[in-house]
Amino acid sequence: MAYTQLAVLLTSGLLVIIGLFAAIFIDNIIKKVIGISFIEEGVNLFIIAIGYKTGGVVPILIPGMDKSWFATNAAYPLPFGLVLSSIVIGASSLAVMFAIVMVLYKKYGTLKTSVMLADHSHGSVNDE
Amino acid sequence: MMNEWIPLMVVIPMLCAVIVSAFNKWSKPIKILVVIVAICIPIIPLIAQYGIHYFGGYAPMIDTVTGILYHPSITYIFNILQKIFIFVLGIVTFLVVFIYVNKYKKASGQYLFLIFMGTSSATALLLTDDIFNMFVFFEILALVQVGIVAASRLEGNFEMALRYLILGAIGSPIMLLGIGFLLATTGSVNITDIVSAIQNATISVKSPIFLMSCGLIFFGWLYASGLPPFHTIKSGIYSKAEPHAAALLQCFTVISMISILLIMYRIFHVVEFFELLVVIFSAIAMILGITLALTQTDFRRMIGFLAVGELGFIGLGIGLYTQFAITAGLFQALNEMIITALLFLGFGAIVYTTGETDTRKLGGLLQYHPKVGLMILLGGLAMAGVPPLNGFRSKLMLIQASLSCGYPELSLLAIIVSIATFVVFVKMFYTIFLRPKPKELEISKNDLPRSMIFAMGILLIMIVVIGICPNIVTYGISQYVGGILL
Repeated sequence: MAYTQLAVLLTSGLLVIIGLFAAIFIDNIIKKVIGISFIEEGVNLFIIAIGYKTGGVVPILIPGMDKSWFATNAAYPLPFGLVLSSIVIGASSLAVMFAIVMVLYKKYGTLKTSVMLADHSHGSVNDE
Repeated sequence: MMNEWIPLMVVIPMLCAVIVSAFNKWSKPIKILVVIVAICIPIIPLIAQYGIHYFGGYAPMIDTVTGILYHPSITYIFNILQKIFIFVLGIVTFLVVFIYVNKYKKASGQYLFLIFMGTSSATALLLTDDIFNMFVFFEILALVQVGIVAASRLEGNFEMALRYLILGAIGSPIMLLGIGFLLATTGSVNITDIVSAIQNATISVKSPIFLMSCGLIFFGWLYASGLPPFHTIKSGIYSKAEPHAAALLQCFTVISMISILLIMYRIFHVVEFFELLVVIFSAIAMILGITLALTQTDFRRMIGFLAVGELGFIGLGIGLYTQFAITAGLFQALNEMIITALLFLGFGAIVYTTGETDTRKLGGLLQYHPKVGLMILLGGLAMAGVPPLNGFRSKLMLIQASLSCGYPELSLLAIIVSIATFVVFVKMFYTIFLRPKPKELEISKNDLPRSMIFAMGILLIMIVVIGICPNIVTYGISQYVGGILL
């Protein structure tokens, strides 16, 4: 495994851990969302690292290029394609999340999840 | 053989979703369009032939270096199992759309977008033979569920939607990480290719990366299925959605559960503890589901927890991993979709007439709405496994399967949970329908919408017909299961 690939894998792992910490333990919803974004980007970085090839070339076949040389030297393109889809999905999730956060901020006037997401239901006999 | 009908099952509802969202202002044409498309959705799987579709027309190729067959494009497989489940999903979608267009004078393009997008994603989950494609539609389905909850006008809907979204935003990347590990070990995201790599022993199934991949995807599956530790949030989103939407949401959950589980089984059944994990989490779901249902006084939460408990039955059957047990689990999944949809619609009728969800404040509804009472009663009995309804057939098969696999304790658990479901239901039915009406309870004098009664009637007919003739679905499911176990 190349040092570059190892460094990227470690960075991705670090991003996921920091993100998980923020998403689980931090009370501020914006920081929580940033943490979630860290997790998503960490995973994307991990998938990109899978496609890394030491001394490889960008996987675009240019006319005139030797096909067998290209097949040997091109980086694996599948992870890059997957990451593109993953980025789009992640962006959509973030947009929806921020939209709901805005609604809840207007309702509660705070960004604290302990206030926003406290159990306001009264359906259980335990509530009596 | 390429089958061009297969992508249409996904494309038609998706295209409809985009159109109704874009032309939101034209309410009447939108209503006509959605009803036509909703009628087409269950018809297409009935007329389509079984087969495979390779997107872009890229058929499987043989690698000239390794000599291994691989799939260069996304592949969809359509078989009897997909036919049955897409048909039932189509029926529920049609009924939900029918109720919606009759209930509201002005149709919301955005809301209908969510319904059709959800149906499209759930269909794709059933059809896909590509694990990344599965992840994409799993994510879209999660967003759709959040949207449907956020679109309801119930108190606390946004809080519940955000909770579900935060958990999803953690669960989904974890599942993607698992897919990444699988890609790193096999170099492919096509499930057939991954399975053949495992069978040809080109990858080690005991390697830590493979096992980690199994664990991470399993975690994502727990989130998608609403099994513990996600059972509370899953029942929560049912209770914060409009009743007709909740009927559809639980269909999405069941389809996510079985489709991801079947994919996981194809890949990870070689992992020694995998089946045990599925059975353990399913058993916990059954126990927690029924226990929490017993403590609820809000009937929507109660049905939500009962639905989670029923998911445990499905996992139990599939987890035992014999042809008969998996057939029983899938049959239970089908019945769960129909029965819970009926119950959600039935309780939606109660909310419509009383505006109340707390069972402590309800009573005496049988004399006002005897038809609804009767249909809810039959739905509840079907869920509890009372003969000759469909729930009885699948639960009996599950009990027989666990006995034949040498797990009498699981049979006992299934029987106890069924009895407890019966108790919950009888108690709920008595408090809502049979006991004297509380003085402060106001019942709307408006008649229930006919669309609601019609939808419940259709679902009830399906419950009775499948209960009397279970072979119309079990034979096909059993054949399919035999095929995947080969």
